[in-house]
Amino acid sequence: MRYLLLSLADENTPAPDERLFAEMGAFIQEMSAKGILLATGGLEPGGLRMTSSGEEVTVTDGPFTEAKEVAVGFALVEVRSEDEVLELARRFRRIVGDGVSEIRRVQ
Amino acid sequence: MIDAVWKLESAKIIGSLTRLVGDVGLAEEFAQDALVAAMERWPAEGTPGNPGAWLTAVARRRAIDHIRAERRHDQTHERMAHDLRHDDDTGEQDRDDTLRLMFLSCHPVLPPPARVALTLRLLGGMGNAEIARAFLTGEQVIARRVADAKRALAEHRVGFDLPVADEAAERLASVLEVVYLIFNEGYAAASGDDLMRPGLTLEALRLGGMLAEAAPQSEVLGLLALMEIQASRADARTGPSGEPIPLHEQDRGRWDRLRIRRGFTAMLRARELGGPPGPYLLQAAIAVCHAQAPTAEETDWAQIVSLYELLVRLTPTPVVRLNRAMAVGMARGPRAGLDLTEDLTADPALRNYHLLPAVRADLLLRLGRAEPARREFLRAAALADNAAERAFLARRAAGIPAGEPAGPLLGPAVAEFLAGRTDATARSYGQTLRRLRTALGEQTPLAELTPAETARAVTSAWGGAAPRTWNRHLAALRSFCAWAGRPDLGAELARRAEPAPAIRRGAPVHVWSGTGAAPRELALWWLLHESAAPVTRVLALNVEDLDLDDRRSRTGITWRSRTAALLPALIGDRTRGPLFLSGRRPAPARAPAEGDLCPHTGRRRLSYERAEHLFKQATGHTLSDLKSQD
Repeated sequence: MRYLLLSLADENTPAPDERLFAEMGAFIQEMSAKGILLATGGLEPGGLRMTSSGEEVTVTDGPFTEAKEVAVGFALVEVRSEDEVLELARRFRRIVGDGVSEIRRVQ
Repeated sequence: MIDAVWKLESAKIIGSLTRLVGDVGLAEEFAQDALVAAMERWPAEGTPGNPGAWLTAVARRRAIDHIRAERRHDQTHERMAHDLRHDDDTGEQDRDDTLRLMFLSCHPVLPPPARVALTLRLLGGMGNAEIARAFLTGEQVIARRVADAKRALAEHRVGFDLPVADEAAERLASVLEVVYLIFNEGYAAASGDDLMRPGLTLEALRLGGMLAEAAPQSEVLGLLALMEIQASRADARTGPSGEPIPLHEQDRGRWDRLRIRRGFTAMLRARELGGPPGPYLLQAAIAVCHAQAPTAEETDWAQIVSLYELLVRLTPTPVVRLNRAMAVGMARGPRAGLDLTEDLTADPALRNYHLLPAVRADLLLRLGRAEPARREFLRAAALADNAAERAFLARRAAGIPAGEPAGPLLGPAVAEFLAGRTDATARSYGQTLRRLRTALGEQTPLAELTPAETARAVTSAWGGAAPRTWNRHLAALRSFCAWAGRPDLGAELARRAEPAPAIRRGAPVHVWSGTGAAPRELALWWLLHESAAPVTRVLALNVEDLDLDDRRSRTGITWRSRTAALLPALIGDRTRGPLFLSGRRPAPARAPAEGDLCPHTGRRRLSYERAEHLFKQATGHTLSDLKSQD
């Protein structure tokens, strides 16, 4: 089963330091090698938003101030169980520190 | 939760423990101790920050306690003491341990099913019950397999070292084979109702990834690429009701691009290493060709054929040759493909392989030969073990309108022929003719059979049999053919000379020299040879029946010097109970009669089947060959 993990951040989230980069690098390396981590990446904070309404399509530039937390990174993983994805997320959170992750099963 | 941690960490934990204690069975026990401790303490104390490290630390403490205790009686554990002092784990060390553990689990002293079970258990962290479910077998079977495997590793003193240079290639090949076996068990579920067991596929991909990380060699990366690309088609290869969809009909939009990309990456890494491509890399390259084709029509079949040509040179197995025939059928037309399958129909290895008639059926259909194609589909369906595949093949057959049968058909003719024989004859002939029916097709008109086809079917079924067996089947075939008015069908087959029995009996005395047989086997074989007593009576001997000085038993069996020299060691300190014991204790549920149980060791009497198997394996002869000496 596959899950998409989104890590969310708000303005209080500290910027990543060197230690975090090193630990995250090792974690990503290990999980990729095991075939668990299929894809991962960071997301730019703002981005674009497209809205369609009837015939009309509008594009807005970010950042979107109404959202307190925004997704700043994602990981697509292939796991054996929900427990396993929780354990992975737990490890991830231990590395990045305070904050929120969303975990969604890919259907 | 603990289970999830365990599955992620078991390879690392057991690997580092095995390095410490030198015995994988012991290592697993300490790891299990740590798991039990976790189950007791985590719920109360909360999950530790780094659960994997916690488990490792607890297990290592147990192991070190154990070693210290051992060292008190045994001063020779210098190496372990050394390891204890220089005990700093690094990522590299972990990878190295994982690799050693894989080599250990896939060691050639173990039979292949044991390698698979041990690998899933030690490296995949799967429990016996889980493994049993994945392989549709009982938990007891797996438990026994794992226990036997650990014992065999201990008995053969298989160390936790990387293989030495001259056996490295062979040992790695064994690891790759085990991983691919697990993959295929999941991907192309050989039997049962589901076409796939994704758990095993995933497990194999993980093992492949770990292996590629620890030993990034060309064939390892090739296998990983092959598995990734095959797995990319998982969603596309079955239809809504579980029926298989052949590659060229799959919706390529449903192929998993992520997996394909991972496969390509592994492939590129393999290519960068250079060197001549091995079998896995070639198969991966073929898979890449398919993955790169935007539509089935755009497949580069010429390239695939040339890759198969290389592959056939490295591994000329019947299945590879069949795949090549299929590719040639696509590249150069169905006629060329069909010609290549002709040889294969005589190959005994493929006689029960449903894909041979299935491939032929496709080629025949493309040649416009509907009726033979329909019959090949029916034969393929009859041979398929997997329910979904069987249904699919039967539907393909049903999709072709049955032609007007040209006279009587093989299946009904055989039934009618057998019905006219006496019971005993029908039973004996039935064996032969059933095989023939499966090989040539129930619904093949008798008039269409050719002597060459018949000869191929018979040769593939019994070509390797003893002359007597061969002649018996031939007699049955001829009788049927004469009855059916086609005596010409047996014309290409000749009776074989049956060797005089005396010749067969002359040899056995020496057949086991140099086989390195165990003392129990040697004693049994010499006793059978020297006593000329029936096998069952010899196996029924009890220690208390023997008169070693007089070289005879109270049951009237006598022997000579070779046996006399071997018996004392075999008996050891035992004073009564079965003379020949099996290697293991019986399971509680299958307790044998008391008289068949050794009061000293709790083992059971050696069975005829086992004794026969061991002798046959060592010498190729049967035990009864031994009896009639003198």
